[in-house]
Amino acid sequence: MDPQHWIEACRPEELPPGSRKLVKVNNLEVALFNLEGVIYAIKNRCPHRSGPLIRGFIDRAGRIKCPMHGWRFDLRDGSNERPARATVYQVKVENGLLYLCV
Amino acid sequence: MNLEKIDQLIKDEYAFFLQERNGWSLTTGPQDLELVAHALRVLLHARTTPDFLADYLALVDCQNADGGWSPFSADQESTVWVSAFCGLMLIRGNRLLKHQRLTQSVKKAIDYFLNTQYQDGRWADSRWADLDTTSHPVSFFNVVRALGETHNWGDVRRAWEQGVRFIIDQQSADGGWYDHDFHPSGVEITAHLIQDALVADLVIDNRVSGVRESCAKGAARLSEWQATDGSWDGENVDHTMDCTRSLMVVTRILGDRRGEDIIMRGLRWIIDNKNAQGWGDFPGMETNLERTCDGLDTLLKYKAYRNENPLDVVKLWGYVP
Repeated sequence: MDPQHWIEACRPEELPPGSRKLVKVNNLEVALFNLEGVIYAIKNRCPHRSGPLIRGFIDRAGRIKCPMHGWRFDLRDGSNERPARATVYQVKVENGLLYLCV
Repeated sequence: MNLEKIDQLIKDEYAFFLQERNGWSLTTGPQDLELVAHALRVLLHARTTPDFLADYLALVDCQNADGGWSPFSADQESTVWVSAFCGLMLIRGNRLLKHQRLTQSVKKAIDYFLNTQYQDGRWADSRWADLDTTSHPVSFFNVVRALGETHNWGDVRRAWEQGVRFIIDQQSADGGWYDHDFHPSGVEITAHLIQDALVADLVIDNRVSGVRESCAKGAARLSEWQATDGSWDGENVDHTMDCTRSLMVVTRILGDRRGEDIIMRGLRWIIDNKNAQGWGDFPGMETNLERTCDGLDTLLKYKAYRNENPLDVVKLWGYVP
């Protein structure tokens, strides 16, 4: 992974376990979720009708359900049972900051 | 609700909508056709359709050989939901435009829906729930029937009736409709089904038994689902607009005045949660054109809802000429 693609998103303490946060990096909306200490990052706009995933429900299998029309995406890889995939981003914490690979 | 304020909002939002024309007009390049259909509905209800013939002809130009449309205008694989929305806007627009190419396009669309229905009455579209998908060709056929379009008339009536029965048969005992994958809360789908698919029969020819009861139960369920602040489905702007509009037409046709307070609360919430220009998907979110079209449509329908003649608002669904 080219290190120059890592972009600072926020401080980790802004995203405690169980919380979510919408950030904007390079004009791109990214929804961040902290599920039991693991941070996931997914493009905020659903590939179906652009519903905001930051407002979605997360099921026990770790899938986010779009609040507009119910499409579900695995937060780990963006996969969906339909031929559509949400974009997910790698995250890392370094020097007290949370970075996204975009 | 002060109608002068509503008029001013409509004027301002319509000006914004026109200012954003490059984002929705097919005359400026390929577009998302679901957004295009939303925009054409605004033109219809703002009574400006005759000024936009080129947009309607551009929609005919991107109709696929099978009579349907694709979600994106430059694509060629038809899907049911967007085809029904486009077909509906064409047949309603052509009442005013009376253009031969639109007339032919509507006939091709009718054939498309006759060819894509399943034996049990449903239509399917991988992007939407079957119930929701089915409601849209039924809605298109409602208007085909209301306007007396005669192309393949007998087949249309049969297909329409099968679609209506498929929907009624799946209503839950509590009055709502649910879909595990797309609409577990039931709110949006219930709002769609009663306004788009079912209630029209009561003003066209009362052909299917059980429609009145089904609509009344659905409307009652919608009313129960409204939050105390006036919104529906967790402050979902789209779904609140759907529910508010649905109750306008359904309660008017049923002659039920109990919905008025609920509609008012919904409308107030929608206005209170408007951005400086347009609407977003949830309060505080940035404006998008599709939601702005829905917002304008809601305001325009509310104006008609306030008229004394109960059919004035029904006209904005196309169920009476």
